[in-house]
Amino acid sequence: MFEIKPIFNALCRSKVGAVLLLIQIAITTAIVSNAAFIIQDRIGYLSQQTGYPEEDIFVFHVMMFGQDVSLSQQYELDEAMLRQIPGVVDAAYSSNTPLSGSGSSSDFSLKPAPEEGKSARTSYMFIDEHGLNTYGVKLIAGRNYTEDEVIVTDNYDELSKVTVVTKTLLDELFPDGNGLGQTIYFGDIPMKIIGVIDLMKGPWLKDSRPDNVALLPFIKAGSNARFVVRTEPGQRQSVMNRVEEAMLKNYNKRVISRIRGLDEDKEQYMAEDTLMMRMLIVLITILVLVTALGIFGLTLFNISKRTKQIGTRRALGARKSAIISYFLVENAMICSVGLVIGIIAAVYLGQLLMQHFSIAQLEISYVLGTALCVFVMSLLAVLAPAKRAANISPSIATRTI
Amino acid sequence: MFLHYLDLSWRSFKRTPLVSFLMVLAIAIGIGVTMTSLSVYHMMSADPIPEKSSQLYSVQLQIMDDGSTWWTKDNLPLQLTYQDAVNLNKADAGGKRVTMVRTGFSVYLDSDKIKPFIGQARLTTPDFFDMFNLSFLYGGVWSEQQEANAAPVVVISKELNDKLFAGENSIGKIIYLDDASYEVVGVIDDWDITTKYYDLNNGSFNKTEQLFLPFSLMKARQLENWGNTNGWKHEKTNTFNDKLNSELVWLQFWVELKTPEEKQAYQDFLMAYMQEQQKLGRFNRKQLEAKLRDVNEWMQYNNVVSEDNEILVGLSFMFLAVCLANILGLLLAKFLRRASEVGVRRALGASKRQIFYQHIVEVAMLGFLGGILGIILAQVGLLGVRQSYSYYKSLATMDLSMLLSAPVIAISTCVIAGLYPAWLVCKTNPAIYLKSQ
Repeated sequence: MFEIKPIFNALCRSKVGAVLLLIQIAITTAIVSNAAFIIQDRIGYLSQQTGYPEEDIFVFHVMMFGQDVSLSQQYELDEAMLRQIPGVVDAAYSSNTPLSGSGSSSDFSLKPAPEEGKSARTSYMFIDEHGLNTYGVKLIAGRNYTEDEVIVTDNYDELSKVTVVTKTLLDELFPDGNGLGQTIYFGDIPMKIIGVIDLMKGPWLKDSRPDNVALLPFIKAGSNARFVVRTEPGQRQSVMNRVEEAMLKNYNKRVISRIRGLDEDKEQYMAEDTLMMRMLIVLITILVLVTALGIFGLTLFNISKRTKQIGTRRALGARKSAIISYFLVENAMICSVGLVIGIIAAVYLGQLLMQHFSIAQLEISYVLGTALCVFVMSLLAVLAPAKRAANISPSIATRTI
Repeated sequence: MFLHYLDLSWRSFKRTPLVSFLMVLAIAIGIGVTMTSLSVYHMMSADPIPEKSSQLYSVQLQIMDDGSTWWTKDNLPLQLTYQDAVNLNKADAGGKRVTMVRTGFSVYLDSDKIKPFIGQARLTTPDFFDMFNLSFLYGGVWSEQQEANAAPVVVISKELNDKLFAGENSIGKIIYLDDASYEVVGVIDDWDITTKYYDLNNGSFNKTEQLFLPFSLMKARQLENWGNTNGWKHEKTNTFNDKLNSELVWLQFWVELKTPEEKQAYQDFLMAYMQEQQKLGRFNRKQLEAKLRDVNEWMQYNNVVSEDNEILVGLSFMFLAVCLANILGLLLAKFLRRASEVGVRRALGASKRQIFYQHIVEVAMLGFLGGILGIILAQVGLLGVRQSYSYYKSLATMDLSMLLSAPVIAISTCVIAGLYPAWLVCKTNPAIYLKSQ
């Protein structure tokens, strides 16, 4: 019923146009399916949960150059002052800040160094008992550490004896689920796990272990410090505007810098991936448009070449729908071959990308989905010219020849 | 003849404006997409110091005991320990060399005019300026004597000099860094590099530092490292001195070696040095290893060009291929319609070669127009990149070589696309078309 045989014979007479169309469809399928896969991968990465109420938290840098105060005392005063600001929920000195791309990490082990034991890569943060509340993360088991357990010091001779860790870290070190209350080692220093946090991302979202975080109740005040503040929802901007002045009023021989929201830090860390995602989206959009235009143009050309033929067919009794279906079937035939080649090319390109870059294995569903979309798009691109062909008057055929 | 063909091309362009415009648009979009990603790639991978990039070598030593691993592909740490960096700097081997590390200070003056701010600083041995081709606006580098004595002196960037001293000659003036005063001994001119190749640890495209101070100040004043510090074994490093004597790596070390012989000699020296150190109980491993990488090798090794960018460049060339197929189809349509006209020209004595040449000139003209339009589209694309990611501000631009290569790529793409249609049309048998005239 589709008159495949005569259409195929006609195609064989003008191979070049068909081959060109086929190439375009094949390459388009290969690019779009791989790009769509990468885009989806980035969207997942960009929209992941971090465990923090990012919009309510901001962080800032303090660099002290005055020598006439005790640093740890000054930071205590600063913390107290920050917590007094209206709109602030809690504030704390933090040795580094999450999602920023800058922090400290080490292996936490089940045996004291230099003994070799099961260990897990962990990013750690020195912060006092306000840490949990300030970061707004959820404790799911055990308890937070108390003020008495926080060591405030100016050297590393004594380190904290307890720690609160994320569930991911606990599960990696103690897969049996009996980790709470056990001892883990930071180098050769034993620490008892007293609390478990549900979800809390570390400083590097691209780390091999972004979710392994340990909070240590230890404050060694240095001249270079970071503070983190959580505010009531909607209050953050007004507190951020006031914080530099307030900090300098408390003590002025220092520089307050890089006051920014936690979400801004995250955005900056992810900016390259956001850019990649946007560029790929632009690329495939234009690509699909160009291919559609190509199909459109080529069909128009074919029609103008076959005006007389079409007129003759109509004069011999072919219905308009027969003309339209002729072009649709012709296009579908070319497109199917192009798609088969395109699917193979897409899989091959996916393999190539996986070999040379850190890109996961292309899922076949993306290729098939793309193939379907390209097929529909090509039919739509043909529809308008085909309708125009159907309107060719039968009398055309009788005029010349 | 060329001009005549050009004129014919223009007439033909005007005769079928829609198809011609579509072709120019197709090539322009292809070029626009390709040039956007290629320009960023070009700026990322550009040689930052072409006049001597093959003479400057970053030094890596395999300090780890057998069994330890690093994340680099050849398992070598990226930086040096304090002991090694100081020893290599002192040793009488190799040409100019530099040991350095990044730090920072609160910067202020004796007056209230300028609010204290954070300044990025580099602690470095004095050969730095000469090795990396920096020129001085005022003054010069500190002396070997001052380096040895950890003298409180500083070289500042032009930008900082403008900010602090309104661009005047500030030699001899005093600035405050943290709690101490330092005398300005030099002001360097703008340093235009997009890739911070001499220290790729904290972002390849970060700005260069504003303050440069003698390296010996680090030990004398216990200045902190603002770059990366990495360890590979468990060590007690509770005090600053512990850190200096540890196996932690945190310093950059470069050496200038002018000839392959010098390089070989230095390589031998490094092996001898490590054997010496083995006697002191370090480098507990069977196979000693030291690596010298020049500027370009170093940038490649550190993956300065991001993976994403390489993927984009690859995909955009495939995109260009789609555009090429598109143009080919349209050219076929356009040229074959003209077959009767060509038939007349052939009958009047034009040779096949002339017909072919005429059509190639026509597609080249389309390519040129597409290339120009493509540059405009690429500028829009690059603007989008800069808007989306301000860190790429200095990278997402087209330099002269990219501006010139855009039309070249466009014209060659079009000529490739035009070869088959032009060949087809010049094969035209004049008799057929003369009959139907």
